Amino acid sequence: MTRYLSARDLDWSLLLIALALCGIGVLQIYSATLDSPYHSAWWRQILYVAGGLLLMWLVLAVDYHALLHYVPSYYIVSVVALVVTYVVGQTAFGSRRWIPLGGGLHLQVSEFVKLMIILLVARYLAEIKTETLEIREMTILSSLVLVPTLLVLKQPDLGTSLTYIAILMVGAFLAGLRRKYVVVIAVVTMLVLPVGWYFLKDFQRARLVSFLDPDRDPQGAGYQLIQSQIAVGAGGMFGKGVTKGTQTQLRFLPVSQKDFIFASLAEEHGFVGVVIVLSLFFVMIMRIVQNAQTAPDPVGMYICMGVASLLLFHVLVNVGMVAGLMPVTGIPLPFFSAGGSSIWSSFLALGLVNNVRLRRFVN
Amino acid sequence: MLERRLKWLAGLILIWGGVILCKLVSLQVVHHRQYAGLARARQEQVVKILAPRGTILDRTGAPLAMSVPTQSILVNPQKVPDLGVAADIFSMVLRMDRADLYARLEAARQDGRGYFVVKKKAAWEEAQRLRGMDFDWIQIDSGSERHYPNGPLAAHILGGVDFAEKGNSGIEKVLQAELEGAAGEERVLTDVKGRGIDALVESEPKPGAALTLTIDERLQFVAERELAAAAEAKGAHCGSVVVMNPRNGEILALASYPSYDPNRPPDGTDNPEARLNHASSVPFEPGSVFKVVTLAAALETTQLRPESMIDCGRGSITLFGRTIHEAHGGYGVMSMADVLKHSSNVGAIRIGMTVGEAHMHEYVRRFGFGERTGVPLPAESRGRLRSLERWSKLSLPSISIGQEVSVTALQLAQAASIVANGGLLVRPRLVLKKGGQALPVPAPVRAIKPETAMTMRQMMEGVVLPGGTGYPEARLEGYSVAGKTGSAQIYDVAAKRYTHNYNGTFIGFAPLNNPSIVVVVTLNGTHGNLGFGGRAAAPVFHAVATEALRVLDVPKDLPEAPPPPVVAGNAADKDDLAIADLGSREPNILEESDEETPVAKATAPAGPRVPDFKGKTMRAVLAEAAEKGLPVIPDGSGVARLQRPPAGSVLRQGERIRVRFSR
Repeated sequence: MTRYLSARDLDWSLLLIALALCGIGVLQIYSATLDSPYHSAWWRQILYVAGGLLLMWLVLAVDYHALLHYVPSYYIVSVVALVVTYVVGQTAFGSRRWIPLGGGLHLQVSEFVKLMIILLVARYLAEIKTETLEIREMTILSSLVLVPTLLVLKQPDLGTSLTYIAILMVGAFLAGLRRKYVVVIAVVTMLVLPVGWYFLKDFQRARLVSFLDPDRDPQGAGYQLIQSQIAVGAGGMFGKGVTKGTQTQLRFLPVSQKDFIFASLAEEHGFVGVVIVLSLFFVMIMRIVQNAQTAPDPVGMYICMGVASLLLFHVLVNVGMVAGLMPVTGIPLPFFSAGGSSIWSSFLALGLVNNVRLRRFVN
Repeated sequence: MLERRLKWLAGLILIWGGVILCKLVSLQVVHHRQYAGLARARQEQVVKILAPRGTILDRTGAPLAMSVPTQSILVNPQKVPDLGVAADIFSMVLRMDRADLYARLEAARQDGRGYFVVKKKAAWEEAQRLRGMDFDWIQIDSGSERHYPNGPLAAHILGGVDFAEKGNSGIEKVLQAELEGAAGEERVLTDVKGRGIDALVESEPKPGAALTLTIDERLQFVAERELAAAAEAKGAHCGSVVVMNPRNGEILALASYPSYDPNRPPDGTDNPEARLNHASSVPFEPGSVFKVVTLAAALETTQLRPESMIDCGRGSITLFGRTIHEAHGGYGVMSMADVLKHSSNVGAIRIGMTVGEAHMHEYVRRFGFGERTGVPLPAESRGRLRSLERWSKLSLPSISIGQEVSVTALQLAQAASIVANGGLLVRPRLVLKKGGQALPVPAPVRAIKPETAMTMRQMMEGVVLPGGTGYPEARLEGYSVAGKTGSAQIYDVAAKRYTHNYNGTFIGFAPLNNPSIVVVVTLNGTHGNLGFGGRAAAPVFHAVATEALRVLDVPKDLPEAPPPPVVAGNAADKDDLAIADLGSREPNILEESDEETPVAKATAPAGPRVPDFKGKTMRAVLAEAAEKGLPVIPDGSGVARLQRPPAGSVLRQGERIRVRFSR
């Protein structure tokens, strides 16, 4: 198999964009954690990125068909790991998400379960081999996805569990789910969630947020959203400059090196910085979609689209949250937010895309 | 199919992304100003920077009033996590009673109060310890407190400040605007916990201007000490001393009795008289000292000369059906100079009648009476001088001997300065410099002719010469002196008659030919038997003037011979009394009063004898001086050749022996 591998065939632009985002991310983490107890986060992040590149290379080395062969094992391991997390997991911000690894490191299992979901959905949909996705198959697949989803939701971690649903929905849509089901699902999601959101009063929103995601919101639901919007708005066109963002530096912005790093970026680099970073994400996702189109088989296409939908969902939900358009669900910005699990799962996802790309010239 | 679905998906995502982008544009571009303002509102607090109040200094630069930073410890009882712990901490650090503090904290919390002052004016170290503990429920406010380092010294001049450090009396009140300064502003950047991170000074505080007073701290001290001693000894309920430089109007000392400590806030137990400035705010009938004005007017407007003979009517004069008596005995015919020297009421009235109403009124005005002197002290009295139209027939004789007018000690000092400086009205001044800038001296106004002033000086010298009313108490060693005594019976407004209480006054200046100081002493409410006028006030004059001349280093103009022993003279001469009850036919009460026999003063000079140093080496001289405790100022080298004072003479207090050495 290795004879197919060539460094020239790697999607270098995808990799460079990812590294560029990581670089900006490290700078922003440095700025956001200056004079805070987390001031070592920026160089840890560099180590995580290095580790992520290593993991990506490992994933590249094995043909994705071989990887797909073990999906049932991954599934069982994932579910067991999630259950273990729930039992022995470390409680932080009122939720159990992390398995302590010793040495101050914590593994966030749910981040890696995303990859398993991508592979699961890809393999399942590829094996149906029919033009349309019937309700029976949809139900089975949904049930399979729902088990880890509920386990993550129970942690509670609404944001991450929603990414699983996103992967499932995009996959099912591309697999030819009947239009009426699509419409039903779409109407339910699009209306009930965001539209209903705007018809609620402030305190109701607060309650909803607290109900859905209580751990993220200990001091009043609106607090983080307001601080985040102020940070973004205060940044203006060109921003206040690295380490000059007062919302960030004076700790008005919560967890500014993790979920709200985009707000910190918006404050210190302004609209210009925001547009540059979002453009990088846009190009990155378009490259992944292009890889999906050049994939040698449907399963490769589903993998690439799974990764694309995963990253897209992360970016849109995170930026939407920072801009105040979405409730605080707490999912990180890929390649950007401080945290090993997020970086590693993101690079693993890139590894999957490149894996498909490297093997596109099948005979 | 897949292609179409991808497009659908892309469209959906584009809409979603578009909405987010629109929101970002709205936040960062359209409403940027609004959000930047919101951020500022959260992160910045505008804090006032207190401007230190100006220091008040005496003329030598010694501080009389200064502002010191203070720390107040505050808590919000609602936010204290554990009142018991709080009481423990405060009782330990601030050395307060724990049980009492706990009870008060508990009560404050029960009342729902959000503000509780644990300790005002905590020491800096205490505040620093509490700061070190870093509890966010302890609040430490920095303030400033006015402090008067000399306590009651010059209290009446300085005045005081209220809780907000605004002047509410004295110089502090009148020159509030200069002393206050202007508070600055700074924008403090605070973090999410409200801790100050960085401060940007928006406007610097403008400290209040330092005021340098004309007061000399040492002289003020002596004036207050002597005044208090005399007032207590003579039973006066109040009094004042003014020491003024007659050339430029600088007030060197201004004492008022009784006094108070401005560091202590007023409470109900205070003597209300203590807060009054008796030198500037409380006018009194001057009595015989006013004869100076009468005689000066006579010299300028009539043919009368010091040697002109005045018929003193053998002790009484009848005017408009009223008989006015001399205080004691009676004089026949004597010179105008003697009228002043013996303070003859009848003589002064005759002189006044010669001057006439219009001229008398004019000269009273020229001497500065009836109007404020303009010193920067609150509630300055202008005294009382009726306008000419409202004078009765008895007004002229009354005013000639200092009745029917009332004046302040400050006005008397101003009037005495006219005689002392050669005829110029110099306004008294209290402030020498404002913020380091010397204040301009207003141009003096001529009040009387220089020759009149000269003549008046000589006549006033007679008062302290043997036979005068101010002799010998007002005499100064080594200096020629001029003065005038005065005693006025205090008019009881309720009883409509003059009482047995007196205002004793002495005005004087020295040295005679070029006076450096004018001193006015008043003692109000002395009782007859304890002495009044010359007897009560003159010793204060003596002590204060001696100190003033020493402090100012005024060269002596008389040989330092011990004064001749006092012969027990005519005591009546000293009881220089402006006769009272002009309107009453009853004989003056004082005529029956017991005479107090003046005690001859021991005139033996006190102090060590000066040894003979001549021919000795410097080492031997210094050793001998040290052994005997004599102050020696050596000059030159070799053996002692000259010494001052000479060997065998008495070394007076404060004097030093100058020894000239040469080979």
